[in-house]
Amino acid sequence: MGEETQKSNLVPMAATIVGIRQMTDKEKLFTVRLDNGNGFKHRPCQFVLISMFGIGEAPISISSPPVNSGNTFELCIRSIGNLTGAIHRSSVNDRIGIRGPYGNGFPLEKIEGKDILIIAGGLGLAPIRSLIKHVLNERGRYGRLILLIGAKRPEDILFKEEIAMWEEDHSIEMHVSVDIAAPSWKNHVGVITGLFKYITIDPLNTIAAVVGPPVMYRFVVKELLAKKMFEGNIFLDMERRMRCGIGKCGHCQINGIYLCQNGPVLSYLEARKLQEAL
Amino acid sequence: MDVTIKHKDVDRFVLDLLSSFDVIAPVARDGRFIFDKINSPSEVSAQYNTTILPPVKWLYPDNEKLLEFNLKDINSMKPVVQANKQVLTFIHPCDINAINIMDEVLAEEPADVNYLARRRASVIIGYECLKPCKEDNILCFDKGYHIAYKGYDLFFTDLGERYYVNVVTDAGMEIVNGYDYFIRAGYEDWLRLLKVREDRKKGFKKSVNGDMEMLSHVLKESYNDEIWAIEGKKCVSCGACNIVCPTCYCFDVADEVCPDMEEGSRHRKLDGCQLRGFCKVATGENFRKSAAERVRHRVFKKEVYLKKRFGKSGCVGCGRCIEHCIAKISIVEIFNHVMGR
Repeated sequence: MGEETQKSNLVPMAATIVGIRQMTDKEKLFTVRLDNGNGFKHRPCQFVLISMFGIGEAPISISSPPVNSGNTFELCIRSIGNLTGAIHRSSVNDRIGIRGPYGNGFPLEKIEGKDILIIAGGLGLAPIRSLIKHVLNERGRYGRLILLIGAKRPEDILFKEEIAMWEEDHSIEMHVSVDIAAPSWKNHVGVITGLFKYITIDPLNTIAAVVGPPVMYRFVVKELLAKKMFEGNIFLDMERRMRCGIGKCGHCQINGIYLCQNGPVLSYLEARKLQEAL
Repeated sequence: MDVTIKHKDVDRFVLDLLSSFDVIAPVARDGRFIFDKINSPSEVSAQYNTTILPPVKWLYPDNEKLLEFNLKDINSMKPVVQANKQVLTFIHPCDINAINIMDEVLAEEPADVNYLARRRASVIIGYECLKPCKEDNILCFDKGYHIAYKGYDLFFTDLGERYYVNVVTDAGMEIVNGYDYFIRAGYEDWLRLLKVREDRKKGFKKSVNGDMEMLSHVLKESYNDEIWAIEGKKCVSCGACNIVCPTCYCFDVADEVCPDMEEGSRHRKLDGCQLRGFCKVATGENFRKSAAERVRHRVFKKEVYLKKRFGKSGCVGCGRCIEHCIAKISIVEIFNHVMGR
């Protein structure tokens, strides 16, 4: 019947791990290259499904910017379950499967010329780093770049070397806060919303991108609305249990929409109409 | 061209089908009915009431192999699309309508290639319901799903000592052309068919009070109704309603490895939105924590979300979820509750 030639949307592409960097005691950054040599185009906040054959699949956000060198992309992965535990035990040149990229990704066409305010809590820095690096790569096309970064403890902060570089970069306004820290910590202590008092924004010309643990969103949105931001200019990266990536398996559904198709990035204008979103 | 077939020739017909297809038919098992692959016409129970599992499981199995691989060499990875030539026989209209819904949902891009391959390799023979399967706890008549207007190749209606066979597709035509016990239907047969269908109307009655066209709107207004907490308190989150539903298609993906630790396969397995961990993510957050939210989600998925997306209700009213709920949760009661608000 010829169906054999039609490939299922659930079949992964073969890929190779070409680099591994330990980031914290729980997270590693993996550099991956597709074996077909083509690479793929993605938008910030899109994700792939990685396969560890014999275990299964897990959704991981892409941490590298849309334009990659050498057809590779980066995945920042926390060791937290079977599959992520297995990928943490793997080494360079090990083979994995990749499906995707999936999701709508960040609406880059809506943010050109605007000030970009990024609020990233914990592991949320992993997907949004793609956007940060994109803005830095195309610096002239955007206005101010304001980063509010939060983590539990100083040792949990991801991409520390890059944050140190961003600290030196005068085109970036950055504030970092941790929940708990030893007295030697020189930066802010407290929840991420505590950082809003250090920034002033032009609410009509600012785009906000929010990504972090689920509990963070409503508090951050409240701060942004208090700064008179328009609901349609606040973008939330809603991470759920993306299982199939093709809008069928049902795990990422919130009310009537599948986040793997119509998300994970929703404007607050859209999200506030979905009772299950926030 | 429609045809008729005498009751006494149906066994021969099934036997002839068996020579070229896998034949899936309603079969009596422990006082209930199931759809099973048969080997002989004597196994078939054409007069059956709702089966435990719907026939759609033969198009969308609970455990379907998607991929085979060797752990030592991922280049050996091989997609699996299984699609035997099969005939699903004596399918009631509610279940045909369920297959129609699955066709739309799973053909939506990105399409489900495995389902579509099985679907294309399947012939569907419908069987008209002249009376409801049971007295209450079914909604097929309320929803108009006791009649199927498409989704079959042949459609049998019992006229007494013979069946009227509506031939709809080329595949159906090919089958009836092959056998001489199918006789071209005449004017008399057609009149008889109309009479039988007219009489059928007396047998069915509505289960829900109110205009079903309004159900989706009424439910939307009932998002914060107390009914969800009440039903949620009863629900034991076993997922039986998901398993027996002919339009539940949510799945999980998992790998299996042979004891030699070399050969393995990837499987799609049915998952259920009523199970506690359905929306739980790796970091521990559960996005639909309470049974009340999950019960509401199941009802909304069928009546609101699928309706919005495909223009028709995703519940065909077969009543299986009510029959198999050990907590006695009933969508009929839920619908009557919200309609009576």
